[in-house]
Parts: sequence; structure tokens; C-alpha cells
Amino acid sequence: MKKVININFQGRVIPIEESAYEELKNYTDSLRRYFASEEGRDEIINDIENRIAELFTERLKKQTEGCITDNDINEIIASIGRPEDFDGEGAETTTAGTTTKASAGSSSTGGTAEPRGSLYRNENDKVLGGVCSGLANYLRIDPTIVRILFALITFGGFGSGVLLYIILWIVLPAKGLEFHVRRRLYRNPDEKVIGGVCSGIASYFNIGVWIPRLIFTLPFFISILGNIFGNHWGAFNDFPDVVFGSFGGTLVVTYIILWMVVPFATTASEKLEMRGEKVDLESIKNTIQEELQGVKGRSEKFGEEFKVKATQWGEEVKEGAQQFASGVAPVARTAGNSFGHAIGVLFKAFFLFIAGVIVFAMFLAFMAIIFSGIGVFPLKNFVLDGFWQNSMAWGTLLLFFGVPIVASVIWLVRRISGVKSKNNYLGYIFGTLWIFGWVSVITLAGLISRQFKRTGNIKEEVTMTQPSNNKLLVDLGETYGRYYDMAWFDDDNGNDLPALSADEDSMLLNTVRIRIVKSKDSLYHTNLVKLSRGNSPLLAEQTASQISFPIKQNDSILYLPKGFGISKESKFRNQQVLVVIEVPVGKAIRIDHSIDWYAWFNINSGRRGLNIDEDDDYFNYNDYSWRNDVWYVMTDKGLERMDKKDRNSNDKDESNGDNNWKSGERKDGGEYRYRKGGDTIDIKIDKKDTSVNIKLTTEVLQKEGDDENKTDAIGTKKVKSASYGKSLISVLDLLKVGA
Amino acid sequence: MNIENTQSQMRKGVLEFCILSIIKRAEAYPSDIIEEMKKANLHILEGTLYPLLTRLKNADFLTYRWVESTTGPPRKYFSLTDKGAEFYKELESTWNELANAVHLITQNGHSITVEPIHNFNQ
Repeated sequence: MKKVININFQGRVIPIEESAYEELKNYTDSLRRYFASEEGRDEIINDIENRIAELFTERLKKQTEGCITDNDINEIIASIGRPEDFDGEGAETTTAGTTTKASAGSSSTGGTAEPRGSLYRNENDKVLGGVCSGLANYLRIDPTIVRILFALITFGGFGSGVLLYIILWIVLPAKGLEFHVRRRLYRNPDEKVIGGVCSGIASYFNIGVWIPRLIFTLPFFISILGNIFGNHWGAFNDFPDVVFGSFGGTLVVTYIILWMVVPFATTASEKLEMRGEKVDLESIKNTIQEELQGVKGRSEKFGEEFKVKATQWGEEVKEGAQQFASGVAPVARTAGNSFGHAIGVLFKAFFLFIAGVIVFAMFLAFMAIIFSGIGVFPLKNFVLDGFWQNSMAWGTLLLFFGVPIVASVIWLVRRISGVKSKNNYLGYIFGTLWIFGWVSVITLAGLISRQFKRTGNIKEEVTMTQPSNNKLLVDLGETYGRYYDMAWFDDDNGNDLPALSADEDSMLLNTVRIRIVKSKDSLYHTNLVKLSRGNSPLLAEQTASQISFPIKQNDSILYLPKGFGISKESKFRNQQVLVVIEVPVGKAIRIDHSIDWYAWFNINSGRRGLNIDEDDDYFNYNDYSWRNDVWYVMTDKGLERMDKKDRNSNDKDESNGDNNWKSGERKDGGEYRYRKGGDTIDIKIDKKDTSVNIKLTTEVLQKEGDDENKTDAIGTKKVKSASYGKSLISVLDLLKVGA
Repeated sequence: MNIENTQSQMRKGVLEFCILSIIKRAEAYPSDIIEEMKKANLHILEGTLYPLLTRLKNADFLTYRWVESTTGPPRKYFSLTDKGAEFYKELESTWNELANAVHLITQNGHSITVEPIHNFNQ
């Protein structure tokens, strides 16, 4: 019992057995493949189908079954002929130059092994020199697979693939080759999500399209699931890990390579080549087994051929060398072969390699821009204001950065897939778009710099109660609201941007500086100076006034906020806060170590007082002489460490203690202090004169309060000098003798 | 080089000439051409004929018109164009020369044989 179906064949309804229909379908498919590169392919197929339809009606009239049977089909096919039978019969005419190509498809059905031929570079299908497709032709596999293998060898083997390629390029002769491939890997344009790679693979291996898709997308799902079950919302930060992480990254890179290397199946014949016939995993296995059996003999043959080629080439080189010896002119003439060819090839390969590297780098940069763009995206609203700036920013991203990269990728894809553009309109379009990109960049830079042109500031006095114990501690307070660390902007040394962190609606800036000055009266004072930039001083002041920097006080502790938030409305205009703390003379202040939190921790004893320049001290903020967690006391001369351990102290001072300080009287009646070193007594006895000169010299290490003789006072000073009578001589003689 | 290959090569050479000759006589339907050639003991597959006709048509040597058929779909009837007639004339003179030459060479005092001549196609 056989199932009979009705088909619409050439506009007629034909009852046909299902198996017969399968046979018919296979037959027309094989015809289609056979005439793949024939000019009037559709017409021929149509004619033949028409004839088959005619034969069907004839047979249906004659026979009793009432439908087309297997037998009928086989007879009809026999009368028309199978593609395998055409080869011997087919007329090769000069009017059809494509007949040689028409035999390409026959190898898929014809079981007999065709003569393998020698190893050539393939002129007909090449990306660079046709080496890969020549090899593929020789091994009878898909050139795409050879290309991918070469790419892998090149990337994995530190360029050895390139070397191998160049050698083969030079050694192998070029020849236009036909394809002897059962099935080729194409990208499938009909079922594509991104590039049609997965569906192409699916049809190549005759498996469901969901299998490669799942394999390619699995790492993403795993990572997303991992994030959900890992109970932390790090998906945002982990996104680059998914892309550049080991496993997922390999797949992404593989996908991109396949995307670039594998051509689209555009024509119907390519689509048929993509699907092939009767080729599934089983037959691939068989093919591989067959190949493995033959591989030994083939490799021997290959080696033999290679040896011959190498010898030939060697002779050519020798010849070339001889010609070179005989003069320069012949070399110039023979540049077309051997040496010239080799050098040309080397240059071409080198150029293409460099170009490829550049394009690859640009591609990565573009990916980086896109991915970091996702991170920066929320920040965009803090800087950009209004329709024009936003559109210019998009213009910059898409046109200025995007266009050259897309253009390069297209160029590379064309280069790899061997498609040559017929006209240049794409180039003009890209050129124009890139000019627009430049305009966007310049306009955007102009618009933004205008927003930062002028400075404005607002001064505010913070009311504070005087600390009871005459000591003030400056500390960081709690900030309300959640801010996420912007880890993306951190390098190893800390924040790259003055911005500390941002959430969706606001960004926390920590551009805060502290300056400590002497108070004019006996009270502590705190002043805030809020600075901002803007298009005009008024606008800048307006923005500055929006800064919220509430300072809290708990008796002797002054709490400063962690930073100040700016909202999307107030925008980022390089806002800064300067906290000026006035400390009265004789009272103490201490800065908690947590103040390091601020981007620019800069405590300035500031004789200049409220000298507001937002950028001053920025560059030397590292060499402040201040320490955290140390009490300082304000004196008339400025701040001093309470434990006297200031910068000028030295060991001698400490060991000698305070009692080395002596006070002296100045000529004008004032008092001065000096620090004593050792005293020396110099006694001179004038024997003739019978008088004794005694000189007491004091070494002065340091002197204060005597500004007139400040420098020359340090050193030795004759303090007292006197002459005594003879009566003393005996005493001193005794002393001398005793010593 | 096997004998079958040589035979098919020889046949191929005259195939176009024969087809054009049949069409020249009268407008022809491909099945008619096949039949007529079969009668002359020159077998050709339809699968070979159709592409050949299409090529000749695309080269402007042939033209066709649709004729309704009682037994099936409308049929294509081929006829020679002026260009095709010219082409046929050239082929005819070449064939005559060739036949003469072959005859002279193979005769060589002997009777005509049906043995294949190896350098025929060269």
C-alpha cells in the first residue's frame, strides 16, 4: 500500500505516489545543481519539468493505476537522463563558455573519484593568493574550513600560519580550478538572527538550527542565571566579562570570524550547495574515514609534489640570481617571475596583514566604546544639556567613531569573501557620513566647552557653635542615599574622574577641598565656597548655588558630607566646594583620616586666606605637610603641631630638651631667645705682661626674636672677655697643673 | 583515453549541426527532434537536448513559439533565426570539408570503416 498525494506540477494537478514524488524532487534538485552555473538555468529546468508534466499526462491516460508510480518516474527519468549521464553526452560548444563549470555539481552525485590533480593555488576563488582554496580543492573539502584553520594557526601559532601561507603562495603555481566539494559552508540569509552563521552551520551539518544557536548563546544565559542566583546585581558590571570571558569570549570571537569569513549564500545555487544532497553527519563521517584512509598516500604524494615544486622554485631562484649577477636590467625585466613575484607577494601579504591588524584593533575599540558606552550612558545626562548637545553626542558616537569602523569591517568582509564592489557609492556615503561625524565632534566640543567657559562662586557662612574644649575635630558624616561605586572609572591608583559614584538620578562628586586659616577673632568660623562653571558667570553662580553641602556639628566635632550630589537637571559643570575653617589663635584643630575620601585632600594653612582659584594647589596636592589624626594648634605664625613634632624639629633638639633655651636682651631692650650648644673657655696667659685673657664662647644653635642679627648670631659668640691680675695666675696655674 | 569517450566526443561535435539541420527543415518540438535523431540511430537524452536548445536560443540562433497541446502543457516549437541560418551554413561547409577530408584520409584506397579515428577531434 502506498500513499498517493496530489501535487501541482507545472500548473497541473498530478496524483503521485509519495515515494515517487520524493524521487521526482531529488531528480529536479539534482538537475538544478547540475545546471547551477548555466546561464539559462531556470529556463532549462522549466523546459524539462514541462516535458515531465507532458509525459505524466500521457502516462496517466494510458495506465490503470490512476497515479504516477515509482516505475513511471524511473522510466521518465531514464528517458530524459540523469545528470551523471549528461557528461558523456553533453555538447561542449563555443557558444556556452560555462559548460566546464556546469560539471561542478556532478561530483556530488557521481560516486567515482575524480582525478585529484596536483596542488595548485586556485585563481577562481581566492581571498589572498588562493592558497587555501587550492588546498581545499586538493583535499576536496570546503575552502572556508581551510581558511578558518589557517586563521587559527595564524592567531594561535604566532604568525606561523602567515609564513606557511607565504611560502605556499610563492611555491605553488596558480591555476583556475573547479570545485570538487560536496557541500560548502555558507551563511544562511533566509534564517538569520545576527549574521546567519548559526543557521548556516545547521544546514551544513543537517541539524536543527536551535543547536548551534543554543551553543553560541549558552554562556550568556549561564552568566545571567549565575548573576540572578548569585544574588547580586552585578550583571551590569559583569557584562564585559561575558563578552571577553574565556568561554563565551571564544564563542563570540568565533562567531565574528565566521561572520567575516563565511560568505552569504545569495544565489539559489549557493543555497543548494549550502544544503547539499544526501550529505548529513553520517556521510561526513564516511567522507572523513575515506579521507583518512587516503591521507597517507596523499601526504606522500603531496610531499613529493612539494619537493618537485620547491626544486623548481629553487632553480628559478638560481636562475634569477644568475640573471641578477649578469646585470640589473634583466632583473627588472624578469621581475614578473620568481624574485619580483616573491617580493610582490611578500609586500602584499605584509600590507594586508597590517591592514587586518589595524581593522581588528579598531573593531575591538568600537566594541569597547559600545560596551563602555553602556556604562557611560547614564552619565551622559549629567553633562549634556538640550537637544543639540544630545544629538551631537550621538552623531559623534555613530558617525565619527562608527563610520570608519563599519567601513573597515565591510572592506575586510569584502576582501575575505572575495566580493568586489562595482561602484563606489558606498565609499561616497561613508565619506559624507564621516564628514558629518567631524562636524558633530567639533560642534559638541564647542557646545560643551561653552558650558565650562565662565566661573562663578557663592560664599556661605556656616553657623557653628564654639566647641567647649577649644578643640575642633573635622570628620566625615554619613551621606544619605545610595551611591554605587563607579568601578569602571577606577584605575589602580584611585578615581580617574572627580566623580565618586552615581546612581540613576544623581551623581556624587567629591571635589571638595579644605583650607584652614587663622581666625580674625577668638571664634571658630566655617565658610563654604561653592564653585561652578557655566556659560555665563550668572549661570555658573546659579549652578553653584544648587550645590547642597550640609555641615553638621556635634559640639567639638564638625561633620562634613561625603560629597555633594548633582542631579540630571543641574548637570555636571565642574562643581567644587571649598571648606574654609578659621581657627582662632591658641585653639586646636584636627582632621580625621576619613577626609582622605575627598578627591583633592588639600589642607592649606593658607596665608593667602580665601584666595579662590579652583585649580590652584591641584598639582601639588601631594606635598601638603599636613598629617591626618594630628592635633594642630593655631598660633600667631600659623598652625603648629601640638606635640611640637613639626617639620623643622631635629634629633638634637629633642635630646637637649627645653633648658638649652637661653634668653638674651637686645640692644633696644627687647628680649631674644637662643639655644645653646657647648660653651668653651679660652684662656690666654701673657707671661710678659703678667695678665690673663679669658674668653667665654657660646655656640648658638638657634635664635628667635632677634631679627637683626639672625644669621650672624648663629655660630660662635664671644660672650665675656676679661683680664685679671697676677693673683689669679697662681690659681689658674694650679688648675692647669691639676688638669 | 577510452573508446567511449572518443565516441561521445565525435558525437558531440556533430550534435548541434544535426539539431540545427532538423529545425531548419521545419519548426520542431524537442520530442520530435529526439524521435528523428533516434530514427537516424543518433541517441540523445532530453536532458542534454534542452540545455543545448536553450544555449542556441540564447545565442540568437533559434527562436520559439508556444503551441497549445492537447496532451499536456503548451509546447515550445523551435525555429531557426536568420543568424542561426548563417551559422548553419558555416557548419554545413565545415562539415562538408571535414567529411571530404575524413573520407579522403580514411579511404586511402580502402573502403570506409566504422573504426574510430583518434585524431578526429584535433
